[in-house]
Parts: sequence; C-alpha cells; structure tokens
Amino acid sequence: MAVNRLIEKMEQEVILQVRDLQYAYSDEKMALKGVDLDIRQGERIAVMGSNGAGKSTFFLNINGVLQSEHGEIFYRGQKMTKKTMNDLRKNVGIVFQDADSQIIASTVQSEVSFGPMNLKLSRNDVRDRVDEALSYMNLTDFRHRPPHYLSGGEKKRVSIADIIAMHPEIIIFDEPTAALDPVNADMLEEVLEKMAQEGKTIMISTHDVDFAYRWAERVVVFCDGKIIADDAPLAVFSNETVIRQANLKRPMMLDIFETMREKGLVKDDRSYPKNVEEFKYCI
Amino acid sequence: MERIVQILLITAAVLMIIQGFLHRRKHEKDHSHSSFGHKHDGSVFSIDFYAYASRLRTWSPKYKAVFSMVCLLCCIICDNIYVSCAVILLMAYITVVMGGLPFRRYLSLMTIPLVFLFFGCVAIAIGFSGSPSGDFNLHLGFFYVYTSKESLWETLELITKALGAVSSMYMLTLSTPASEIIAVLRGIHMPKLLVELMNMIYRYIFLLMDTQCRMKNAAVSRLGYCDFKTSCVSFGQIASNLLVVSLKKGNAYYHALEARCYDGELRFLEEEKTVSAMQTAGALLSVSLLLCIWRLTV
Repeated sequence: MAVNRLIEKMEQEVILQVRDLQYAYSDEKMALKGVDLDIRQGERIAVMGSNGAGKSTFFLNINGVLQSEHGEIFYRGQKMTKKTMNDLRKNVGIVFQDADSQIIASTVQSEVSFGPMNLKLSRNDVRDRVDEALSYMNLTDFRHRPPHYLSGGEKKRVSIADIIAMHPEIIIFDEPTAALDPVNADMLEEVLEKMAQEGKTIMISTHDVDFAYRWAERVVVFCDGKIIADDAPLAVFSNETVIRQANLKRPMMLDIFETMREKGLVKDDRSYPKNVEEFKYCI
Repeated sequence: MERIVQILLITAAVLMIIQGFLHRRKHEKDHSHSSFGHKHDGSVFSIDFYAYASRLRTWSPKYKAVFSMVCLLCCIICDNIYVSCAVILLMAYITVVMGGLPFRRYLSLMTIPLVFLFFGCVAIAIGFSGSPSGDFNLHLGFFYVYTSKESLWETLELITKALGAVSSMYMLTLSTPASEIIAVLRGIHMPKLLVELMNMIYRYIFLLMDTQCRMKNAAVSRLGYCDFKTSCVSFGQIASNLLVVSLKKGNAYYHALEARCYDGELRFLEEEKTVSAMQTAGALLSVSLLLCIWRLTV
C-alpha cells in the first residue's frame, strides 16, 4: 500500500526542481556541493543530517533568500532568476527554528499580517488571512498581545501562523520541535497532520528519527553539503551505510519490530508499523 | 472667585483618592490581571505591562494622543496654577480610576519626574547673597540663602505646570502600547525611517534584555559575580558577547524578513479603533472645564 501511495505521489506534479545547486558562504568552504531534488505536490518530506550538513542553507536557497551563482531552481517548470525570486518567496514559506528571530512586530496580529501585507493584498484580504491563520493556530485570543508576553510554545504557534497567512505551496519547518515541550510538540504534530490532510506540501528538518519514521513519506538525508539518500523512510533507515555516514540512529519502532520478527513474535507479512497504533495491530 | 476654584479642586482631589481606593478594593477581590504569562521587573517593563493591561486600551490611540496633547498645551499656554492642578487631577482620574492602574503604582511612577522637578526647582526658589534679603533667609557663615514668597509661589506654579504636562503624557503612555503610539506617529507622517526604527528597537529591547538576562544567569551560576573584580570582568564579557550575538541575530532576522517578501519597508495591519460620542463629549467637557477655570482665575 505504501508503495502504491509512493507511486501515486510520483505522478503528482513537480512543484519545485533543484538542479546541481552549489552555495558557499565564503570562498573557502562550500555549504552545498551540488544538490538535486524534486518536490512534488502534497509530499511530506523529512530532511535529516547532522548539524552543519547544509539543511538550513538549502532551505534559504530554495526560498530565494540566498542566491547561488551555480545551479538552477525551477518553480513549476519556470527557471528562477533574480527578477522572479519573489515568486519563490511567495510560494515557499519557512518557519524558522528560533521563533524569536522571526517575530518582528509588537503584536501578534501585526506580526501575522506582515507577510500578507508584503504580498500587496487589499486591507480586507489581509484581515481575512490573518483571521484565518490565527484561528488555524488557535491564537485568536492572543491577537493583541505583544510577543514578549508569550510563552515559547505560543511564539512557535505565532511563527507558524505567520507562514500560513501567506498561503505558500510548500511549507518548510526548520527543526520545529527543537525547543518545544512534549505537549506543544504534540500540538505541532497535529497541525502537521491537519496540513497534510489539506494536501499541503511539507518539508521538515529534524533530528528526531522516530518522528521522521512515523510522519514522513520520504526522507532526504544531507551529509557534508550533498544529498546521500532520498527514499521512503524504511529504505533509508534500513541502509546501514547512510545511517553511519550521516550520524543518524535507527528508529526505535523499527528496531523493536525487527527484533520481535526475528524471535517469531509477530507475523512476517512485510508490512512495517510506523506508530504504536499500527504496532498494536501487528501483534 | 479664586477661593471657590481652590475649594473645588481640593474636593475633587479628595473624592478621587477615595474613589480610586474603593475601586482598588473592589478589584482586589476579582483579580483580573492574571491573563499575561509573566511580568518583568524594572520600570521600562512595567510601563509597557500597564499599557497592555489598561482598560483604556480599547480607546482609539489617536484620540488619546490628541486629548493628552491638548491638555498638555492647556497646561503650558494657560500658565495658571489652577489649570495645572486640574489637569493633574483629571489625568490621574483617567489613568487610575478609568484605566484601572493601581493608585500606588501611579504614585511610584510619578515620583520619577517629581524627584527631577524638585531638584530643578530648588535652584529657582532659592538665591545666595552676602546680606540678608527676601522674606526668608538662612545665615550660613559667609553668605545667606534666601527666598521670597513670590519666588516660592512661582516655583510652585512651575512644578504644577510641569507635573500637569508630565501626567498628560503619562496618561497616554500608561494606556497605549508602544506599537499603537508608533502607528499614530506614522499617521502624522513622521519619516518612515524613524517609525521603522522605533518599531524594531521596541521589539529588540525585550530580546536584548532577555539575552542579557540569560547570559548573566549563566555567569552567576558559574560564580562570575562572586566579588567586585570578577563582576567587572563578567560584565565586560557579557557586554562584548551581547554585541557579537546581536550582530549574528541581526543576520538571522534579515533572512527571516526576506523569506517573507520584505522589500525594504515594514508594513503591518493596524487596528482601526473608533471614537464614541461619549468620548468626544468627555474630551470637550474636560477641555471646556479647564478653560472655565482659567477664565475664572485670571
């Protein structure tokens, strides 16, 4: 079934195509050394890799903040140049890792309105989008609060509402669970689920292998500025060389399941459980 | 005539204090300011906090700005002690009773300008001379410190005038969050550069304070403040680190701005708050009251 879904996804339209992208912050060290990636409509992609592997640089590149001399980015088949960079920024949204370095306005409402205002929408449209994004993230009561009187989890929600209000086609989350408590992390996962149901294309960079295993349909592994694996989670996490090279760990669910199968405790029907619910079903 | 105005002003002051006190008692029972997550210490934070907690926040910031400016101008133009006293009382009434700021907090905030005023006015009230002069004098060895009834009265007039002007501004700042004041400034076509700088500085003050607080805690936990010399070294290191962190953060901010289509101008959706007929009537009534007091006592 998973394979079928994957094939189904393969046939979906490609939104973003990245070809041989290279980027260097300074002359000495290359942060990206030739990256190729296709992002299709409705995909859930987990981006993994150790710190400094080039994930964040890659995100800033496909959002158009950083512009590379070498390499090409196509948005819906159209090659992006300096002039069309704003198309990229409109359609690819990034939720930054640190909410405090994203929030600039002094009330939640004006913060969320910043993106839509830059899209040069009419006042009423901006208001509608802000209302929608705030209710999506359960922030309507916080509308007039200043960000410095919000908790960490609330700030994170504001930073997500910021991006939702811009209606991008691809939403990128840069290590979203890094500073969240378990309750807020669960909240985030619910939001991600909701977005996926609505057919949004989501890309998440994370170090949490268990999360990537249960949530993603596709795992992209960065190592030293290059993509070393790009496949379904099971295939990536079963590949010992990739795991060792990228400093990853195997998901606990996968280990437990394989151990139980070796001992003959579960049926061996080649289907792997992704979460505890599916696991219960297997036994 | 003057007598009547004096009596009226004193009665108003007494009534106001009583009402403010009663209001506070009532409020302590149903404590309503718990809606904010946390509160910072220090006066900058508390003014900001009170502005957000004020009941006058729903009023239009433009209305509040215009009203407080008119009262301030009344104070200065009329140059009359009774008008000044009336403005002080009126503003205190609006801020404390209508806005719901605890009276004691208001007094403690008022002491800041009062201290400056007091020291400033001492220089005006007293004079030095070699021979005894004025209505009151004090012999201090080689010279006399003296003052007269007129100069004392003049000083009092000056203090009330300044205090009236300050309390008008307090009314505005204690009921209007900085972002709304900035929006008003944008509305009167203040240069964009200044307005945007104000917006950003306001936001970053809190971030900087937060970062500094965390760095200091980290230093304290490692005995960085155990004696005076170490404290000085730690303070210097934190200050230089803060600069480096700010530069780095500045870069991160710029990326985050660009990612949301920033094109060199900060634009936000601003709330349009309407002015009710009652508010207009109240403002007109107050200003005409001030003018009446002025006419009666000139």
